[in-house]
Amino acid sequence: MAGSREARLAALRGRIAAIEAGTRTPTPVLPFGDPAIDGCFPGGGLPLGGWHEVTGAGLEDETGAAPAAFVGLLLRPLVKTGAVVWVARRGDLFAPGLAGLGFPAGRLIQVKARDEAEVLSVLEDALSTQGVAAAVGEAEAPDLTAGRRLQLACEKRGGLGVLLHRRPYGGRAGKPRMVSGSASLSRWRIAAAPSQPDAGELGLGPPRWRVELERCRGGRPGGWILEQSDAAHPFRLVSQLADHDLAAPEPLRRVG
Amino acid sequence: MDERARALGLSAGQKAADALALVPDLVTADHDPAADRAALEALSDWCVRFSPAVALDGDDGLLLDITGTDHLWGGEGAMLVDLVARLARWGVPARAAIADTAGAAWALARFGDDLAIAPPGGQRVAIEDLPVAALRLEDAAEAQLPRLGLHRVGQLFALPRAQLAKRFGLALTLRLDQALGAAAEALTFRRPASPWFDRLAFFEPISAPEDLARVAGDALALICARLEAEGRGAKRFEVVFHRLDGRAYPVRAGLARIGRDARRLTRLIVPKLDKVDPGFGIEVVTVHAGGVEALAAAQERLDSEAGNDLDETLAPLIDRLVNRLGENRVWRADPYESHVPERSVVRVAPLDPLAAARWDPDRPRPVRLFKRPEAITALAKVPDDPPVQFTWRGRSHRVRRAEGPERIGQEWWRAGTGEGETGPDKIRDYYRVEDEAGGRFWIYRQGLFDGDETPKWWIHGLFG
Repeated sequence: MAGSREARLAALRGRIAAIEAGTRTPTPVLPFGDPAIDGCFPGGGLPLGGWHEVTGAGLEDETGAAPAAFVGLLLRPLVKTGAVVWVARRGDLFAPGLAGLGFPAGRLIQVKARDEAEVLSVLEDALSTQGVAAAVGEAEAPDLTAGRRLQLACEKRGGLGVLLHRRPYGGRAGKPRMVSGSASLSRWRIAAAPSQPDAGELGLGPPRWRVELERCRGGRPGGWILEQSDAAHPFRLVSQLADHDLAAPEPLRRVG
Repeated sequence: MDERARALGLSAGQKAADALALVPDLVTADHDPAADRAALEALSDWCVRFSPAVALDGDDGLLLDITGTDHLWGGEGAMLVDLVARLARWGVPARAAIADTAGAAWALARFGDDLAIAPPGGQRVAIEDLPVAALRLEDAAEAQLPRLGLHRVGQLFALPRAQLAKRFGLALTLRLDQALGAAAEALTFRRPASPWFDRLAFFEPISAPEDLARVAGDALALICARLEAEGRGAKRFEVVFHRLDGRAYPVRAGLARIGRDARRLTRLIVPKLDKVDPGFGIEVVTVHAGGVEALAAAQERLDSEAGNDLDETLAPLIDRLVNRLGENRVWRADPYESHVPERSVVRVAPLDPLAAARWDPDRPRPVRLFKRPEAITALAKVPDDPPVQFTWRGRSHRVRRAEGPERIGQEWWRAGTGEGETGPDKIRDYYRVEDEAGGRFWIYRQGLFDGDETPKWWIHGLFG
């Protein structure tokens, strides 16, 4: 019985997706290469042609190191198709670090903006430019208008936008400003996870992250521990987070 | 020295006491060479409207290379009259002359008829009646020549050169040759002479912002058409707005790759026009192109959506960002051969050719590198070991795994590294540590352990 209910839900989801997409051709996606993750997205992978929010947990809220590493690795397969523009107000992104994750820094254009509004406008400008495969901006959550503008810019060229939430200078600690509802396609929360070196090896293993997909348009949330991988897909699934491991997600609409 | 002063009996070089005796209420001021120089430089900048190549000449002269620009005024004569009339209007009495060589022009402007123009190749005739002082001679030669009965330049032409040189030094024959065009003379122009210069003059001064934008576009279109005709492009463009009262406002735009698209350039220039204060109006706009290089004509691709050279499509974005934010705010990080982490990265223009150097993949580097390392308090069991626990920003981290050390010393061989910046206490031992939550930090101990002092620990970056 449960199976048929699942099937009916899937069919309904498909119809909704078809209605939402209208006459647009299906957007290209960036697959993770693991069905457990790709299955959470309606298109079987992280959809391009839109923007995604990435936040850090705890201290990362301010330093944004784990999210930056995660995003760098996430964008690694996209660098083949174009340049990546990284906009921030602070200049602490260190290219050798990204290069160490396998991200070719020769394709990275770094921009230092003067204020939050400039971050968003540069991001928008970059995304609507041909030849830019992805653009990353470090800023607070944009309001709905700015988010919508970003979305339109992404759709123009099919670029991938990433907004890395980072508390600005002098921002108050604690809960960051969250805008309820946003035009982003998904929201991620990234924290570092303890690495596991191979048996018999000393030191640190390949970096791992505790990755939570908090919200995903047309898909469902999930949580995983991912490890850096040097294969075609930049991540390797280590384990699935159990439901109780996840932070309380946004209130779900109750179905049935 | 104007006419009225001369009528009162004043003259240049007169003693101040004598002048005051002649004119008791004379206002005197000290000679200020620096101010004179600054004024002359300002004047030379103003002269750019006549030619981009303006050289300062001594304390009181300007040399303009007007090759190819006189036609804009309808001939050399009209240009000269316009120049002197404008200067007179600003209260700058000036004498001017045009000749093939700088030497002949110098002589004519100072000793010839006012507004003299030597026809092409005619400098020999033009200067032969001038006094020998017109040859820019050394003081000794200048004093000695008249004593020998040689008063006019023309008299020198007839004398044997070898003996002239023997008697008065090579400088004399050189000056003679320079005036006649037989010897080259290097002029130091305030800005390098460039044929890539154009100018638009208006019958009525303009001041409306939209007019400024339009004329900027027109001026750029002029120079871009010329660049295209010669198969060239440029990297730097400068549009200068000359105001009625002689002030000039330059507006610059740079391109990441050489180009000549006037419409794109105009879009880069127009947002910066608010810096231009038109005052009573702009009467002339000049435009310069710098960094001119050959640029093959690019054919518009029919399938411009795909398959284009990546750099080509990125260039407009880079231009927009650089011109809006400034050159130092848009960069690509390139490897640089240095072990010191802060120095291992150089910022280069995003579209520069890729460097051959690579970062060492065996030396892991953090994703975030702090500009200044932050002090942490660390607990280490053995001084030479990585810490077991450390406190950073008021939070305690228990170290679960550690990797290292990687020893990095200061580069004492580099210029500018002071005595106190090297030595054993500046050596850093870097460790990559992971705390229980999985946070990966790049910390280092400063200096070698020498028993008594507790070593100092710093955090320098974060691995994601």
